Amino acid sequence: MDTPAPHSSYQTPHPVIEPGHSYDSITEKISAIVLTRRHPIGWFATMAIGFLLVNGLGLSVGYLLFKGIGIWGNNIPVGWAFDIINFVWWIGIGHAGTLISAILLLFKQDWRTSINRFAEAMTLFAVACAAMFPLIHTGRPWLAAYWLLPYPNTMGIWPQFRSPLIWDVFAVTTYFTVSALFWYTGLIPDLATLRDRAKRRWTQMLFGGLALGWRGSARHWQRYETVYLILAGMSTPLVLSVHTVVSFDFSTGILPGWHATIFPPYFVAGAIYAGFAMVLCLAIPLRRMYGLEDFITMRHLENMAKVTLVTGFIVVYGYAMEAFFAFYSANVYESFMLKNRAFGPYGWTYWLLIFCNGIVPQTLWLKRLRTNTTWLFIMALIVSVGMWLERFVIIVTSLHRDFLPSSWDMYYPTRWDISTFLGTIGLFITLMFLFVRVLPMISIFEMRTLLPEAKIKGAEGH
Amino acid sequence: MERDILNTDAPELRQLQQRALIVGFWGLLAGVVGAVWFPDQFFRSWLVGFLFCLGLTLGSLGLLMLQHLSGGQWGLVSRRVWEASARTLPIVALFFVPILFGMPKLFLWARPEAVQGDAVLQAKAPYLNVQFFTLRAVVYFALWMAAAWLLNKWSAGQDRGEIAVTPADSVRFRALSAPGLIVLIMTITFASVDWIMSLDPHWYSTIFGLLTLVGCGLSALALAITVLSRMARTQPLASTLVPRHFHDLGKLMLAFVMLWAYLSFSQFLIIWSGNLPEEIPWYIERIQGAWAPVSLLLVAGHFALPFALLLSRDLKRRPSLLATIAAAVLVMRIVDIIWLVEPNFERHGFPIHWMDLAVPLGLAGVWVFVFVRQLRGRALLPFNDPYFKEAFAHETH
Repeated sequence: MDTPAPHSSYQTPHPVIEPGHSYDSITEKISAIVLTRRHPIGWFATMAIGFLLVNGLGLSVGYLLFKGIGIWGNNIPVGWAFDIINFVWWIGIGHAGTLISAILLLFKQDWRTSINRFAEAMTLFAVACAAMFPLIHTGRPWLAAYWLLPYPNTMGIWPQFRSPLIWDVFAVTTYFTVSALFWYTGLIPDLATLRDRAKRRWTQMLFGGLALGWRGSARHWQRYETVYLILAGMSTPLVLSVHTVVSFDFSTGILPGWHATIFPPYFVAGAIYAGFAMVLCLAIPLRRMYGLEDFITMRHLENMAKVTLVTGFIVVYGYAMEAFFAFYSANVYESFMLKNRAFGPYGWTYWLLIFCNGIVPQTLWLKRLRTNTTWLFIMALIVSVGMWLERFVIIVTSLHRDFLPSSWDMYYPTRWDISTFLGTIGLFITLMFLFVRVLPMISIFEMRTLLPEAKIKGAEGH
Repeated sequence: MERDILNTDAPELRQLQQRALIVGFWGLLAGVVGAVWFPDQFFRSWLVGFLFCLGLTLGSLGLLMLQHLSGGQWGLVSRRVWEASARTLPIVALFFVPILFGMPKLFLWARPEAVQGDAVLQAKAPYLNVQFFTLRAVVYFALWMAAAWLLNKWSAGQDRGEIAVTPADSVRFRALSAPGLIVLIMTITFASVDWIMSLDPHWYSTIFGLLTLVGCGLSALALAITVLSRMARTQPLASTLVPRHFHDLGKLMLAFVMLWAYLSFSQFLIIWSGNLPEEIPWYIERIQGAWAPVSLLLVAGHFALPFALLLSRDLKRRPSLLATIAAAVLVMRIVDIIWLVEPNFERHGFPIHWMDLAVPLGLAGVWVFVFVRQLRGRALLPFNDPYFKEAFAHETH
């Protein structure tokens, strides 16, 4: 009470930006990655892997269009397999970007600033990867507009507005549109910075065009802040709505293992969980490659680890509820569903899922592991695998043995299933690494507001 | 300033306590008299009242743990309200005792003759039986009371200055709250199955635990807003509580209102769409016939109206208006609990019995009396908390 106690562990956690930076050094450091710096060897190595996989994707999709979706392993009773698993997995990964950019902005969490830009880019690329799957699953994607988008329903058969699949089309397109707008709006002041700092004529023209004539006047900033806040408000419900609608794809049906009321919150938490794991997967190598440890500090990694731990608990809560109610319901099909999940032919996927999503993240209770970047990276990879397995377990094990034993059958993915999935991972890596090369991966002007001198002048901050 | 905060003899609180006792007395008297004529109804109404008070208490315990973990000024200003509310757990446990006596009247599965003719109830008997049910209740209350006791004990130690205000001190609260919150979430989930869901032992819904949790949190937030707005009228809190605090609490209440609606609607849509014989009767009972107007009332009063009003920034910053909405939300919490409990029992004519209002009001009155007593027993703000000194250092002088 008389003298202030040592404040180290509870009042001043790790800073969101390391000391020693000025307005100029921030601008210089981030814009140099795009404009002047040579790219590290790690960039070329990762890009090479990504590009190789993209070629595999081109091949797989080309053969799919040539031959038809019979090249995939899905067939009755498992009519939905890798395509929907990957769709849900990718859509989920996108959610962290929206959460970071919108909800954390509204909560005035300043640690979002260094990670929001590339998390938003991640959202866009993940949604792009996700959207591919329903399109190519139609076998004839050039007709997809006719099947998916609403048109005057004169035939009264399609689209079926009571089907969550059609809600999905609306949810995902809205999500993509708002996310893209949000991302681009946030980029404008930085694009102007790049325009001003670019040396070559064509880069000046390119960034100048994209900056939409931004001069940084007070009026520009005032409008910018308004638009950004409105977009954040619009994005916030989208964090919940998109994966809720995705969960309705399953839960409004009556298949045991799909028809569970816990699905909406459990899917949303799973999406954020997978998304934060993916942000960690990207942030840890990128900050090392480009030496960004002073912008993406231990505080960011630790906070993301904490979000991962909390959302992981909600996901495990979902597993626990499914297991408990399978028995509490006293319904033959429900309890069989769970027995089949845990001890049926795909039982190993269930236990592996519990290991990846339920057990491994518990290491994040320890501060020592939470601040160990190598472990965080490995843990994030394991969680990503776990979230993919979760969708596999929900979709394949529920479908392959439903009510009638006579219609039971096994599902095995083909090489084309696997190459298509790996191909989208390649596409994601390629897009992400191209983005890092051509646009500032950290918001320059927002980072500048984190400096102590910015706080003294602006009373409210922003 | 510290002496001001320690002075808890606010006339507002004394008045509230007095009125609560009056309501409690007459409500319970009416309930006891009513029990002579309507013994079955007495237990149902008692369950409603018990669940309402329990929701206030457990929601408070949950938010208390949450604010220890998350930090933030909203937690500092509400902490003492939630601590006092968590300290009422023994009286809430006492409220539970009559339910043990009324089990065969309340729960179909507790009637051997009903279980005999029902395969589903027989299958559920390993979980739904009198001994295990009682044991679970004892375990729940023991865990809740242990957590509430420890958090309050340490907090009182802080007030007296017995515990040195060091980082290690606040770590202790967090070290209990993190696992404590997990235990609380699990126990409330299973308690919601035991005490609400199993009233219709054929029905089940996996989201129900979360829905109950959000209901508890909403009750506790509304309680904090109601109490704090009263206390903000006079010293010692008048100079500490500023519109920003109410704004934050209002935003949180809006979030909980939306979360409740989101979970409720998800449950409804999935069950409606599946239309399965085990699930849909629960909703048919509630959305058709006598209960339909109550369902609509919940849609309007538990979601649409508070949602629309709480969007206003101005309103959230005005304690008296915000408290009016919070009070309305508390009333809707009772209606929601009535809606969950009562349609499980057959009744003809108007769905809500007068005892459904009298007994919960009586129990709530007694609860508020005990709660205010607890609240007055300690400083109204955690003035020795290290965060508190930092947060209010510039503003209170």
